[in-house]
Amino acid sequence: MRQLRILARVVVETFLGIKRSGWSNWLVISILAIALTIFGSVLQLTMSLKNLVNMWGSQLVISAFLSDKYEPREVARDVSQYKEVRLVEVITKDVAWEDMKKTLNAASISNPLPNTLHVTVNRADQVEALAPKLKLLPAIEAVRYPMMVVKRINEFRHFIEIAGVVVTGALTAATLTVIGNTIHLVIQARQKEIEILSLMGVGHFYIKCPFVLQGAFYGAVAATLAMLVLLTMHMYVIQPYLSQELASIAPLFPKNWGYNILQTFTVMLVLGVAVGAGGGAWTSGRYIKI
Amino acid sequence: MIRLQHVSKSYGGRPALKDINLHVALGEFAFLVGPSGAGKSTMMRLLYREEVPTSGSVFIGGVNLNRLSPRQIPLLRRRLGIIFQDYKLLTRQTAFDNVAYILRALGVDEKDVRKRVTSALNVVNLEDKADAFPDELSGGEQQRVGIARAIVNGPPVLLADEPTGNLDPATSLEIVQLLSRISERGTTVLISTHDHTIVDAMRRRVIALKNGELFSDVDSGVYDMDLTAV
Repeated sequence: MRQLRILARVVVETFLGIKRSGWSNWLVISILAIALTIFGSVLQLTMSLKNLVNMWGSQLVISAFLSDKYEPREVARDVSQYKEVRLVEVITKDVAWEDMKKTLNAASISNPLPNTLHVTVNRADQVEALAPKLKLLPAIEAVRYPMMVVKRINEFRHFIEIAGVVVTGALTAATLTVIGNTIHLVIQARQKEIEILSLMGVGHFYIKCPFVLQGAFYGAVAATLAMLVLLTMHMYVIQPYLSQELASIAPLFPKNWGYNILQTFTVMLVLGVAVGAGGGAWTSGRYIKI
Repeated sequence: MIRLQHVSKSYGGRPALKDINLHVALGEFAFLVGPSGAGKSTMMRLLYREEVPTSGSVFIGGVNLNRLSPRQIPLLRRRLGIIFQDYKLLTRQTAFDNVAYILRALGVDEKDVRKRVTSALNVVNLEDKADAFPDELSGGEQQRVGIARAIVNGPPVLLADEPTGNLDPATSLEIVQLLSRISERGTTVLISTHDHTIVDAMRRRVIALKNGELFSDVDSGVYDMDLTAV
């Protein structure tokens, strides 16, 4: 019960600290909200691109040309055992030849085509890994796949991921500085009170915790604001205009927006609270000497 | 209650206290006197563990303060009441809230807070000023709020660092008499001062420091004028 009362007092002290901070609260929350909005946008874009890449990637097919000594359906069964494989389609040499004859009018020569497997992978990044494995099978004489497309898709995806990490890191550092400065001002304003509390025997938890909670509060409010901005953008810009205008690249936008928005908000909230509380803890640890 | 054994303290090689041995018993009332720079404030800071001695040991209630971890320091200070020359009151809080602050921070039940704060304000005769803010009170009244705050948690030891430094002689005497009455209830009171008027008026134990050394320790003394002739 006593601990609960202390906790309640800590919360009261936190809100008194927030009240005392006045306009600087809005400065911190605004900067943190901007950082989180950018982070949330990057996160959404990264997730959407992953969807897109995976969608394209899963359509990428490896063509495996078989030796005539092997039964294509048996080879197809073996190939389908690989965990990367989503679908195996058998194109027998007869079927392929019939198709070719229709377009090339080459009826007078014997069928030169091999039996072929069209192997579809689960994800784009699995193409390059799977192709050499298939090549090792004795039944498969050769494999073909659009290597450059796969490489470029993966390179672009990695670039987006790295850019996301760099942008988020830079914004986090900037936010930590702003939170640190604001809480430092609050500590300076409360210096006398902190000194009195310390000399009266109040514990470190009671003295420092309000600053950590104040930072966490900034993070939670900023994450909520950032989410509102993202939702507004989605509802009034992306959905009505971009989704229609750019229907051809519709996969760029999350298919299941409801799930993504919750996931994005959770990540932003956790990051915002962690950055805010971390900034508060670091600043109180640095400037409060008990 | 308070014991110092061969305590020395120096700052950057400059000695502030030199080999001090001292004992103040439970419920005793004593003045710590000496001119500026004699080492009074240093000794006070050692007693509330704001500093540690360069050598020797400081004990409060049998606890060796040198061995306290940072986490144990708040526990020690809850057993001490500290009174300051500049009162150190929170200007945005009433007299009642200033006294209640520490109890609330320690998680004391609000009903108990009201009871204990009212009782402490009664001791210092400020029950009718409970709702006043510090800037509405005289210097003597502000110091009495400071005393109420120091005694509200029922500490066995009161340390007063120049408590009358900002007060006129009549109010100073009133404050020291108040501390004397508190001491009669079993609290050890140590007052650091260089105000010879109050020391001479009270005729209580006087511990005199000069140039960081124990100059004299008299059971019922006056302010030794030799102290001022440094």
